[in-house]
Order: sequence, then structure tokens, then C-alpha cells
Amino acid sequence: MSSPLRIVLIGYGLVGARFVEELLPEVAAGRIALTVVGGEPVESYNRVLVAELAVGNTDLDAMLVGDRASAEAAGVRVLLGVAATAIDRDARVVRCSDGDGIPYDRVVLATGARANTPTLDGVERPRRDLASLGKHAASLVARDDVLPEGVTALRDLDDARRVLAAVRGRRRIIVLGAGVLGLELALAAAHAGAQVCVVHHGPIPMPRNLDRGGGHVLRSALRRTGVTVVAHSRAEAVGYRTDADGTRRFDLLVTADGKQLRGDLLVLSCGVSPRTELAVLAGLRTAVGVVVGPDLRSWTDPDVYAVGDCAQVVERTPETAGRRDLPGAPAGLVAPGWRQASWLAAALAAEAAAIRSAGADSEVAAEPLPTERDAIVMLKAEHVDVVAVGEVAADPWDDDALSPRRRVAQWADPEHLRYVKMVTEDGVLTGFVCVGMPRTAAELTLLYDRGGELPADRSLLLRFDGPDHDPGTDADAFAPESTVCWCNGVTVARIEASHACGNTTVECVGRDTRAGTGCGGCRGRIAEVLARAAEADGALTP
Amino acid sequence: MPDAPAPTHCPYCALQCAMTLTPTDAAEAATTPVTVAGRDFPTNRGGLCKKGWTSAELLRAPSRLGVPLVRGADGVLREASWDEALDLVAGRLRDIRSQHGADAVGVFGGGGLTNEKAYLLGKFARLALGTSRIDYNGRFCMSSAAAAGNRAFGVDRGLPFPLADLDDAETILLLGTNVAETMPPFIGHLAGAQAAGGLVVVDPRRTATARLADDGRGLHVQPAPGTDLALLLGLTHIVIAERLVDAEYVAARTSGDADLRRSVATWWPERVQAVTGVAAPTLRRLARRLAAGGNTFILTGRGVEQHVDGTDTATAAINLALLLGLPGRPGSGYGTLTGQGNGQGGREHGQKCDQLPGYRRITDPDARAHVARVWGVDPAEIPGPGVPAIELLASLGRPDGVRAMLVHGSNVVVSAPDAAAVRRSLGALELLVVCDFVLSETAALADVVLPVLQWAEEEGTMTNLEGRVIRRRRALEPPAGARDELWILHELARRLGSPARFDTDPEAVFEELRLASEGGIADYSGIDYALLDSGAEAYWPYPRGGAGTPRLFAERFAHPDGRARLVAVSVRPAAHPAPGPGEVTLVTGRLLEHYQSGAQTRRVPELLEAQPELRASLHPATAERLGIGDGDPVVISNRRGTVHGRARVTVDIRPDAVFLPFHYGDEQAANLLTSDAVDPISSMPEFKTNLVRIARLAKAGALA
Repeated sequence: MSSPLRIVLIGYGLVGARFVEELLPEVAAGRIALTVVGGEPVESYNRVLVAELAVGNTDLDAMLVGDRASAEAAGVRVLLGVAATAIDRDARVVRCSDGDGIPYDRVVLATGARANTPTLDGVERPRRDLASLGKHAASLVARDDVLPEGVTALRDLDDARRVLAAVRGRRRIIVLGAGVLGLELALAAAHAGAQVCVVHHGPIPMPRNLDRGGGHVLRSALRRTGVTVVAHSRAEAVGYRTDADGTRRFDLLVTADGKQLRGDLLVLSCGVSPRTELAVLAGLRTAVGVVVGPDLRSWTDPDVYAVGDCAQVVERTPETAGRRDLPGAPAGLVAPGWRQASWLAAALAAEAAAIRSAGADSEVAAEPLPTERDAIVMLKAEHVDVVAVGEVAADPWDDDALSPRRRVAQWADPEHLRYVKMVTEDGVLTGFVCVGMPRTAAELTLLYDRGGELPADRSLLLRFDGPDHDPGTDADAFAPESTVCWCNGVTVARIEASHACGNTTVECVGRDTRAGTGCGGCRGRIAEVLARAAEADGALTP
Repeated sequence: MPDAPAPTHCPYCALQCAMTLTPTDAAEAATTPVTVAGRDFPTNRGGLCKKGWTSAELLRAPSRLGVPLVRGADGVLREASWDEALDLVAGRLRDIRSQHGADAVGVFGGGGLTNEKAYLLGKFARLALGTSRIDYNGRFCMSSAAAAGNRAFGVDRGLPFPLADLDDAETILLLGTNVAETMPPFIGHLAGAQAAGGLVVVDPRRTATARLADDGRGLHVQPAPGTDLALLLGLTHIVIAERLVDAEYVAARTSGDADLRRSVATWWPERVQAVTGVAAPTLRRLARRLAAGGNTFILTGRGVEQHVDGTDTATAAINLALLLGLPGRPGSGYGTLTGQGNGQGGREHGQKCDQLPGYRRITDPDARAHVARVWGVDPAEIPGPGVPAIELLASLGRPDGVRAMLVHGSNVVVSAPDAAAVRRSLGALELLVVCDFVLSETAALADVVLPVLQWAEEEGTMTNLEGRVIRRRRALEPPAGARDELWILHELARRLGSPARFDTDPEAVFEELRLASEGGIADYSGIDYALLDSGAEAYWPYPRGGAGTPRLFAERFAHPDGRARLVAVSVRPAAHPAPGPGEVTLVTGRLLEHYQSGAQTRRVPELLEAQPELRASLHPATAERLGIGDGDPVVISNRRGTVHGRARVTVDIRPDAVFLPFHYGDEQAANLLTSDAVDPISSMPEFKTNLVRIARLAKAGALA
């Protein structure tokens, strides 16, 4: 009997937790020995909701996803609040901040990403290249950047606590950056009563996801909800003041064109970068993230894997192998990370089973992980609805000859904060932007996911959000084919016919047609139909 | 000479509307032997639907069977005497049993049988046949909700409160149920919620029930087919995230909330929107309405239950109700709407493969000992658990499977999924015996057809959707050639040499059922015919010497610790494949005019005239894409089969789905297209999310 396959998982976020959950049967069966090293001293939580936590809309309790107790009951060793500081590939040991060394057969990196610190005068921005990491490993590996008082990112629970204090105090919050995460926070904080100002460069918010039209409508929507938006502004410096207690804290943000924006808290929302420092130190190939093949294995070491926001999936070909810069980047969304975690868990389980039966290392062919399509981006905000995906810059008036299969349909109503653009190739949706029309957005999401063909009349999709959407309400309640009595399937026409035969009361009609003899809920309507019929008779009799 | 008017209940659905049958005089008796009138009762308040009003038309219809039929060597069914038919059946059953063992004989029951018949059928299978192979068509109806109810509450009574409690509700969430067509008089109980603007209907179709929410009376939520579970997880997420949980109730009356919280933490509204097609603001609005306090009910129907994850979906609805503190709170609650006439009683007294009377588990030694005592046998003589309906049907004609089958009150070649395979399986039997009063599609395949009584001709009890036991009463003499199933079971048992007692008098059978159910979950021991005839309300459990239980869960749930279980459930991505290019999702369901397989209602001229043939509902956008016009002949197909119908182009359905009613037989049977994949817990088949293609049927000889 061979010993179990020893796997060390570094990182216990949403993706790491999914990986653990999927491997539990293997661990319980003794085929895999799994150790989890999680840097944060708490149970795995749903980071997607951290902005909700930061404005007080929810509690940590409602965000927990990891099940440490079940994992440990199955035999998983779970180390929380312990950082992995190095992967010693020669010794095949993961070194930890508590001095421990954990031997492994396979290492899975699920270290996620950290918030970027932009270049700002007055804020220190450490580099994490190999030379810096070598010199300052203790302060750079598995650590976030140390930010001054009054400046924060929004990524983890400490960040959320800082923001929540400002929101509760109805302070002035400046959000630097108008990506999805920044806007989600801005909208939620404004709704919770804080004064919020969003500063971004370029003309529109969410420039990576939206076209010009969608961006403009979104900007109007932001302003209407009370968020101040300062566009076309590159932040350049941060100014500080010293409090009475001697603390030096954030005071103002200075932009390149000289604007000075005062605030109590500066939230940096300038994108994220994969946490690659363990890989860099271990000599593994990294680009934007840890470079892995479609099988999620490191290009450098087949015993090391990466999943989720730290992983950059690039197929190794003679062409890519020779390149310095590699294409692609982690998706930054949880769904692809979950798919990777599930796929890798299944692959490792199969490997462990194969080792068991063959008694030796053997290759297990698995269904390859499907290629990810562009992920749909949804702004999680209660009063502003934005969903977008794909390449949406195309315009309805573009020359068809240039992209003969592509067509664009668009609806813009900036006054009412509504905007839709649908881009199709051969009728199939390849991208869309939808602002302020949630039901339309929901239907477009399904159509995009399923590769479904759009109806030839695209306006059908817009009507979901119209007040007339209920086909029932615009139907004529007195049209001959309208059903009056559901219990007995009696229509207006049938009641009118009965009336014409001399049944002029609800009771008579009931005896004749059974209308109104079920639940009785339609008796009022029967009376109305009879009244109209009587009126019509009267009109005919001069 | 006409008999006195008989106060009884409708023969069709589980609402069991009260009606009075008055025998007519001799002149009319040949065609219309009784007149039907609505009778005041808390569920229907004197009203009846079209099916109920016309129910008497079948009593003397020409299509009514009046004499046993036996298939001759030439393959043709011929009239036979009762002795001939019963001797033949008993002889063949004995032969097959002695050659292949007792489990080579199977019994397939129905949710329309009276409690007495359902009880005696279970006893007959276990003792007279000695087989474990018995199950019933309720497996296709209530099994998921039943499994979920048992798991959460420790008991499964469809509505654990009287229906009239709904009258005072401010909010009612209807999940996957089209009561306006399936049990129309029910909608009278929705008026309060409508007036409060709180009738919420979740259905991928814009059904008649969904329209009841129009004009500010509530909300219709239209998720993509097969996404109900994600929708419920999303609502639960909002309730937890927004601190709308009734924390005191959850702490005092439930267990498992930590796991539940974790299981929904990843179902935030925008993710749910992407999966279900229901906008996040709608989800929030709905969750807040449900949690707004006031009288609130959550009710599920087959739409969310008839899935390969139907048990989990019903569980998710229960979890939501528990977090909101609804079950057991006066004026609020969770319930499932039982469909078949005796779908409740029929699932309690032993025609389920894993069950003994009183909702006892057949594997429980105490339960076996109790029932064996009542039956006067050694517990070891009662066979162990059999196999659920789909597995039973799949085993027909197989080497170790069932070789002879008795079918009672079920039309499986129309109502079971993958109908073509069921037809093939029935063809592989050495003996098929069908008890029915019309020559249903299944009876037409039988070797022996035994004509039985109709509701107006028999005495007995039914248990309606509220768990209330009610009396069915005889209004007229049955035709000379038809026999009561109790008598048939008695005669067969006698011919098979069974020493066990098989009474032919319904009241005597009920007296035995009382004893057998005593101390069980569904305890009927305190109920007798005299009590029921006095007009008393009799909700089970009704222990001997005690009182009935109109409302369950007021103080405790039925688990030993008195707490309800919150059971974390999750979406299995493979459970409901999304339609690919050219495909749509098939949703099956019901029409006002027809009941179940339509074997009865298709023989009532007024009902058939209103809905004479299969109409496939599809959205105008889908119809346009496929070049289909309203009324065009269409074929709907997948790898399992092909169905012929006529297009009904309507905006009442989503563009990604097609709706087919399952009331028609032969090439119009929607179940030719449904899969026999089942829920791992309840063995409920998947009726709502099969993938199909639709095409216009080219006219023969027409130019392409």
C-alpha cells in the first residue's frame, strides 16, 4: 500500500476553499494528505462581498464559505494565520512563517491577488522583483503594502473595517479608480450615507468593460445617486495632516491638473496584481501571474500548480516559450477560479487513485479544462445596474465590409439612465453592455452564456424592462378570447353569447356556462362583462 | 328507484372539492345517472371547476368498461367472465412466482386510489404475492417534496395547516405551481394576498396563476427552466446577508444553520441573476417582501419538485421558510400542494416500495413488528424494501426483473417518463393486468383488463392536500359487470391461497388501516366512519382517544429533538444542461380541462372539445426563427422520441422553452421526450428540463 499523495495548498480564499471541498472524499479515504496554509487568521470567506461588509450591509458571518471543521474531520491539516514564506523545490518542502516546514509531493498556489498601490508622491510603493524579494523577503512575501493612515485598499477584512469606520462616521471618502470594485464601494458607501468622490483618468468609468455610450450613462447614474465623479484626472500626490494625537494621516489627493480633493479616507481601487512572490523566489516562471499550462501546472516545475487570481494560463508552445511577455492575465473573477479548482481537484484525485492502483507515478488523461470565454462583468450595486461582456467598442454604423459577420444594435436613453448595446456575430451574441435595464441584462446574460441566437427583432429584449412587459396588462380584458372564469375556462365571448340568450344575471350565466361557479373570484368581472353587453344592446336600440 | 343525494367529493385532484351527487330519474339514468352540485366545504366553498362539473359524464359513457377483457391467442382482447379472468390471472401469477420467485411479480399503484384500496394493495403485494416489488405513480408527483419534508420536519403532510389559513396571508410565494389551472377553486384562498399586493408566482411560464399577480396584486418571477434551486439559494443569501433571519426562531427551533449559511454565502444576487435570468433588484425586492413580517406562506408544486434535484430544491424552499420563522407560526408556513386526488393518503399506507401503513419505514423492525401483529403474520413474512417506480418499470421483462405486473389506477405509458421505453418494457412482460374503468393506453396493452368502479359508485376515504381525511360516498349502483378493487384483491388472494384477511367492505378495511397506522407518523387510529360522517374535521395525526391535528409544528417538529433540520444543498451544474444552439428546454405540465394522463377527461366530450389535441406553446421569437406559425403542425423531438402536435404561439413562455401538456397519449405523449434520470434521494424523474428540438411538420407532397 503506497502512502497518500501529499498536497500543500497555499491560500485559502474562495478558490482554495473550493479546492479543499472537492478533495475531501479523497482525503477522508486516505488517498491524499492535504495541508492548507492560509495567511488570514479567519475561516475562508467570500471576498466578492467585502464591499458589502465595508459599508455595513452584511456581516462576516454571512460571508464565510470554508468549512474548517469538516475539512479537519476528514483529515485535512488547516493552518490559518500562517504564511508560506518559501517553496524549497529541492527539498520539496513549503516553509512557513511559524518556522514549520511542510513536505510535499504537489504544491498548489491559490494565493490570489493584492491591490495595486499606484505611483503617488507621498505613498511608498515597494517593488517585488527578485532582487527586492531576496533582500526584504520578510516584509514583502505574503505581506500587503503598508499604507499610511487614512489610505487603504479594499481587499481584506482589515481594509473593510477601516472603510466601515469612515462610512459609519459619514466621512468623506475618496475612491481612486473607477473599475468595478471601486464603483461598487462608492455606490454602497454613498447609499450608506458617506460622502463619496470617485477620481479616475480617462473620460468614462469602467473603461475596460464599457463603450463610450454605456460609460456616459453610467457616469450620469453615479452622479444621480449622489456620488461625485471627477473624470480626466490622474492622481499625482497625497497630502497629509497631523492630528492632535500626533498621527499623520491622509488629508488630500492632488491631481496632475492641480485639483486638490480633501477627504477623510482614500480608498485605492487601481486594480490588482497576482501574488507571485513565492513563485518568483522559487525560480518559477512568472509573467503577470504564475505561468501555468492549460493543465494548471507550472511551466517550470510539474509538481507546482496555480489556480485562481494568481495563475496565468498560457499554453507552452515553441512560440510562447521564447517570448518575454506572455499573453493573457488572470480573469480576476471567481467563476473561472472555481472551475480551475474543481478541475484540478478531480485531476489530482485521479492521479492519487492511479498511484494507488499502479503503485507508481503514472499519467492520468483527463478531459481538458474548457477554455474560458470572456467573463461577464456585473456591477454589484443596488440602484445602478451594469452588466457587460466582450468586445463592445463597435458601432452600429461601422462599415459592414470590415467585419462582415458582425452587427451592432443599440438603444440609448441617457435621460432615463438606460443604455443597451448588443454585438452579434452571425446572430449570436458576442458582447453587450447593459445599463439601467436589469431584466434585459439578465436575459442577455443567459443568451451570452448559452451562445443562443438573438431574436431577429432585437427590441424584444428591451421590452423586458418596459412597464408594458406584462403581456397580460396590455391585453384587452374584454377581448372575446379573454378568459373570465379560470375554474371553468369561460371566455368573454361565451358570457356574451349567454347574455344574448337572455342570461342577464351572474347567477343565470353561472347556470348556463358555469362561469363563477368555481372559486367565485370572477363574479365581479362577469357582472362587468354583462353590464358592457347590456350597454351595447342599449346602444343598438335607438 | 333513485337513491338519496350523496355528499361526497370530486373524483379528480387533491383539493377534493365537496360535491353532492343526486341520482336522476330512470329516464335520464342511462346517460346522466347523477347530477353534480357544488357543496359548501372549507376548501372549495361550494365551487367546482370544469372537470368537477362534468365528472358524472363518464359514469355511463359508452367508453366505460363493463366486463373483464382477456387477450386471446390471436392478440385481441375479448370479453370474459370474472371467474375466467381471475382464474387466469391467479394461475399465471402462481406459475411465474414458482418459477422465478415472488419478486418476479410487481404491483403498480396510484395516487387516486382510496385509502382503503391503497392500504389493501400494499398488504396484498406483501402477503398474498409476497413481493417487495410495489411502487406507485406518486413517485412522479410528491416524492421529492415528501423526501424534503421528512428530512426537514421529520414528517410529510403536504399542507401542515388548513387551506383556509391562506385567506389571511399578506404574502404567498407560489413556486412552480399553476393552481389556477390545476385546482382552480384554490385561487379563492389567494384573494387576501392579492389584495395585499403579495401574491408572488415563480414560474418560467406566464401561467394563468402568474396572471393573478398582475395589476399590483403581486409579482411574477420568470426564471429560466431548471434554475429554481439557484433562485432559492439566492433568496436565502439575501435573507442572511441583510440580517432578515428570524434569529430567535432559528436558534430555538432548528439545527444546521451554520452549514446553511456557508452553503449560500457564494450565491450573491448578481451571480443568481446570471444563472436564473431574474434581475438582482427583483430578487432583493422579493426577499425583503418575504421577510417583511405579517402572515407569509411559501408553497411549492411540481414545477420545482419534478427535477433530478427536486428534493434539494424543495429543501431550499423549506430552508428559506425556516430562516424566516414561518413553519409552525400561526398564520404562516411552508407547504407543498399535493396533486392527485388521494396523493396524500396514497403515500402513507403502504403502496410505496419502502413503506408500511401509517407512514412507517419498512426497514424499521418496530414498524414491521407492529404491522405484522395487525396482519397476523410473522414479521419475517413481510418482504423488505422494493425499488422505486422508475427502477421497477426498467426491470420489467429483465432476467432478474418483474415478469408479471398488476396496475391499479395508473396509465404509465402516458404518465411515466421515457414513455417509449415504458411501452417496450410492458411489452416484455409475461403478464400485464390492468384495473381501470376505461381502456386507457396502458389497459390497451394488457393481457387482462379488469373493469372497476368509479368514485360515485363506491364508499371509502380520501386524504386531501391538507392531510384531512374525508369520506367518499356511493350515490348509485355500479354497472353489473364492474367490481370494486377490494373485491378483486380479495378474490385473487383467495385463489392464490393467501391466509391473510382481505375484507371487501371499505369500512372493515378502514378499521384495519386504523390499527395498522396506530402509533405511526400518519396515525389514523382515532378516526372512524361515524366520526367522518358526523362532519367532524379529521386531520392526521389523529390518535385513538385523542384529537386531530389541523396545524402541525406549533410547538415542535417531528424529529426526536423537536427541531427542524436546515439542510445545506447545492447546485449540481450537470443537473440541468442549458439548451445548446437549436435546442429549447421542454417544460411539461397541465391544462385546466384535463387530469393526469387524460384517460378520463379525454373521454368527456366537453373537455375534449376545449382541448382536443396537443398544443406546443412557444414564444413568437422562437416560432419566427423556426418558421412556425400559430396552429402549424410541429414535431418536437430528441433522441428518446418524437411528439406530434400543433403550435401555439404565445408570449406566455420564455423564448428558450417549449411547453407541452402531458395529458395526451400515443404520438402526442409529451413523456416520449422526458428522461428517466431520477433524483438520487426521492427517485423523482426529471420532467421539466429536457432538451428538445422543434420543427414545422412539412406537409406531405408540399414543395420544400
